Amino acid sequence: MSPPERYFFRFNLYHRILHGMVIVSFLGLAVTGLPLKYAQTGWGQWLSHLLGGPFTTGYLHRFFAIVTFLYFGLHLGYVARLILAGQRGIFWGPDSMVPQPRDFVQLAQHVRYFLGLGPRPRFDRWAYWEKFVYWAVFWGVAVIGASGLLLWFPTFFARSLPGWIFNVAIIIHSDEALLAVGFIFTIHFFNVHLRPEKFPMDPVIFTGRLDEEEFRREHPVEYERVRAEGRLEALRTDPPPLWLRNFSRVAGFSALAVGIALIWLIVATALG
Amino acid sequence: MPRKTARIATRSSSGLLLLGALLFLPGTGWTADAPTAQECLACHADRDLKRGAPAPGRSESLFVDDALRKASVHGRLECVACHKTATAPHDERLLPVRCAECHAKARIALTQGVHGSPRAQARAPAPTCAACHGSHAVRPAAALGIETCATCHRRQVELYTESIHARSRRRGDSQAATCRSCHGEAHALLAKSDARAPTYHLSLPRTCAQCHADPELAKRYNIPVGNVYQLYMDSIHGRALTRSGLLVAANCSDCHGAHEIKPRTEAASRVFRANVPKTCGTCHAGILAAYAESVHGTQVARGNVGAPVCTDCHSAHQIRRVEAAPWQLEAIRECGTCHEESLKTYRDTFHGKVTALGYARIAKCSDCHGAHTILAPSDPRSSVSPGRLVATCRQCHPQATAAFAEFHPHADYRNKARFPKLYYTYLFMTGLLVAVLSSFGLHALLWLPRSLIARLRRGRAGGEGGSEP
Repeated sequence: MSPPERYFFRFNLYHRILHGMVIVSFLGLAVTGLPLKYAQTGWGQWLSHLLGGPFTTGYLHRFFAIVTFLYFGLHLGYVARLILAGQRGIFWGPDSMVPQPRDFVQLAQHVRYFLGLGPRPRFDRWAYWEKFVYWAVFWGVAVIGASGLLLWFPTFFARSLPGWIFNVAIIIHSDEALLAVGFIFTIHFFNVHLRPEKFPMDPVIFTGRLDEEEFRREHPVEYERVRAEGRLEALRTDPPPLWLRNFSRVAGFSALAVGIALIWLIVATALG
Repeated sequence: MPRKTARIATRSSSGLLLLGALLFLPGTGWTADAPTAQECLACHADRDLKRGAPAPGRSESLFVDDALRKASVHGRLECVACHKTATAPHDERLLPVRCAECHAKARIALTQGVHGSPRAQARAPAPTCAACHGSHAVRPAAALGIETCATCHRRQVELYTESIHARSRRRGDSQAATCRSCHGEAHALLAKSDARAPTYHLSLPRTCAQCHADPELAKRYNIPVGNVYQLYMDSIHGRALTRSGLLVAANCSDCHGAHEIKPRTEAASRVFRANVPKTCGTCHAGILAAYAESVHGTQVARGNVGAPVCTDCHSAHQIRRVEAAPWQLEAIRECGTCHEESLKTYRDTFHGKVTALGYARIAKCSDCHGAHTILAPSDPRSSVSPGRLVATCRQCHPQATAAFAEFHPHADYRNKARFPKLYYTYLFMTGLLVAVLSSFGLHALLWLPRSLIARLRRGRAGGEGGSEP
C-alpha cells in the first residue's frame, strides 16, 4: 500500500499482559462454567466429560477465578500506583475511564451518524463503548467474583450469612456470567474486531500499537491533543515485528473462535 | 456310567421280553395249564368279588373290568402275561405283578428318582406303577394328567389349577407348563433339594427359560418383557445365583411362586403391585420394616396405587447393585416421575447439575431424604426435619451450621409467593441481561451498514487519509 507508516503506542506492556490475563481467564471460566450451567444439554455433558468431569472442571474453574482475582488486584494496584505517583486525570478528563458528559453526547452523535443524520463524532482516547466494556468487566468481576466466592466457601460464609444467600448467589453467578459471556462474545467482538472497519480482528491489544492513519481516524481528538502537548514523539514506536503480528493472529483468532463457538452453543440451546 | 448301565439293562430287558413272550403269550399253547382270560373272568368279572382284610376292617375288590382292560394299552395281553403264577381257579394270593420284567427301563429310572426312593415307596399311597398307571386299565404316560400327581400332591395341584399355566392349558394351549414341564419325567423325577433336579434352586431359572427365554412366546402371550431370562441373569439375583451359587439368592419362584404363578395384574399374584413389598420382604425383611414405616410404604398400605413399591426404583428383573452410579442416577429420574417439581428445582442446583452430568458422588435424593426410610419433613424422625437437617447436611459439609442449612436445595426462583427474594433477583438479572444485550445489539445493528460503507470508502481512497464523512 503506502510507504512505511509511523506507529504509536496505545497500550503499554502492563495493559497488554493484564488484558492477556483477562482473555485467558475469561475464556477459561466460560469453558469450565458453561458445561455446568448447561448440564442438561448434550454439548454441556460432552464438554464436561472432555474436561474431566464436573469436579475436575470445578478445580479448573477455580484456577481461572484465581487468575481473575489476580488481574483485578493488579489493575487496582496499577491505578493506586498512578495515584500515588501524582498522576492527574485518572478520575476525570480525556484519559479517564470515568464516564463524562461528553460520552453521552457522543453516544447520541454516533446514533445520529448511524442514521445518516450527522458526521461521525470525533473520539478521544476512550470511546463511550470502550468505557462501557471496561466498567462491565469491573462490575462483572466484582459481582460474579463475590457470588462465586460465596459458593466456593459456603460453610465459611454461612457463619455470618443466612443460607438463602447461596440460593441468591447461584442465580446471580449464573445469570451475570451469561450476561458477561453474551456481551463479550457478541457486542465486544463486534465493536472491536468484527465490524467491517476492523474485520477480521484488531490486533492492537496484542501489539499495543497502531499506525498513524488509524490513530488519527479512530482517536482524532487524542491525536491532536497529544501532538499539541508535544508528546507524540514519546509515543512513537516501530511497526510491530513479524513474530508479534503472528502471535496476535494466532491468539486473537483462537480467542475469537472459542468465544463464537460458545455463543453459538448458547444461542442454539436457547432457540431450542 | 449310569447311561452305560441303562443300555446294558435295555439289552437284557429285550431278552427278557422275548423270553416272556415265548413262555406266556396267548395262543402259543405252550403251557397247557395257563388259564385264558375267559377262565380268569369266570370269577373276576364278579363285581362283588373281594378278598379278606388287607387292612383291619377293610376288604379289597378283586373285580376286573374287562372292557377297560381290553381298551387299555395292555388290551392284547393275557392275564398270565402279568399274573404269571395264576391258575384257574386259585386259592392262594398271587405273587405281586412285576412290571419291570417288561418295563425294565422305567424301573431303573424309578430307582434313580425320588418316586422310587424307599421313603416314597413306604408312604401310603406309594407311587407304585399301578398307583399312577392303573392296574388293569393301564394308561401310558402320555395319558396321565395332573390328577395322577394330585393323588399324592393334592395341595400343589390345587395351587397349580388356579395358576396361569393351568388356565392357559384349559384355554387349549398345549404348550403351557404342566407338572412334568418343570419337574421332568415322573420315573426319574428328582426332589428340588437334589442338585440335579430341574427345580433345584440354582437350576430353576434355566428350567423356566425353556419357555420364557423365547421372545416369540412373550409376543404370543403379550408378556411385556420379552427378554426376562437375559435380564434376570444379568441382575444381582441372577449373578448371585449363577456366579456365586447362593441358595439364598432369589430365583424365579421366590418372587413369582412355583405352582401358583399368576399374572401380576391379579390381586392374588405375589408380584401384584400391592403385594410386591411383602414378596421382596420375605428375604429383605429389614428393608421391608423400614419401608413399611415410610411415606411410600404407608401410602401403598392405604391402597394408593401411585405410591412406589420396590420394583419402581429397583426394577423387577434388572435389579442391580445400588452402589453403581448408573443405577443411582437412574433412581433420581425415577423419583422425578412423581416428584416432578422437586426434580426440576434440584436440577437448578449444583447437586442436580453434577448428577445430570453423570456423576453420582454428590447429594442425590436419597442422600438427604433416605431411601426406604423416607418420611415427611414434618415428621421429627425424618432426615430433612428441622431438627435433623444440619446433621444431614454435615454428611458432606462437615462444617455446616444451622444458617448453612437455611440454603434451600429445592428453591424455585419462578415462585414469587414462596421465594420472593429469588424471584426478584432473577427478575432483575434477566432484566439487566435483556436491557444490555438488546440496546447494544441494536447499536451494533445500526453501526454495521455505516461501518461497511466506511470500510468500502477507505478501500477505494487507498488507505492513507481515509475520507470520513
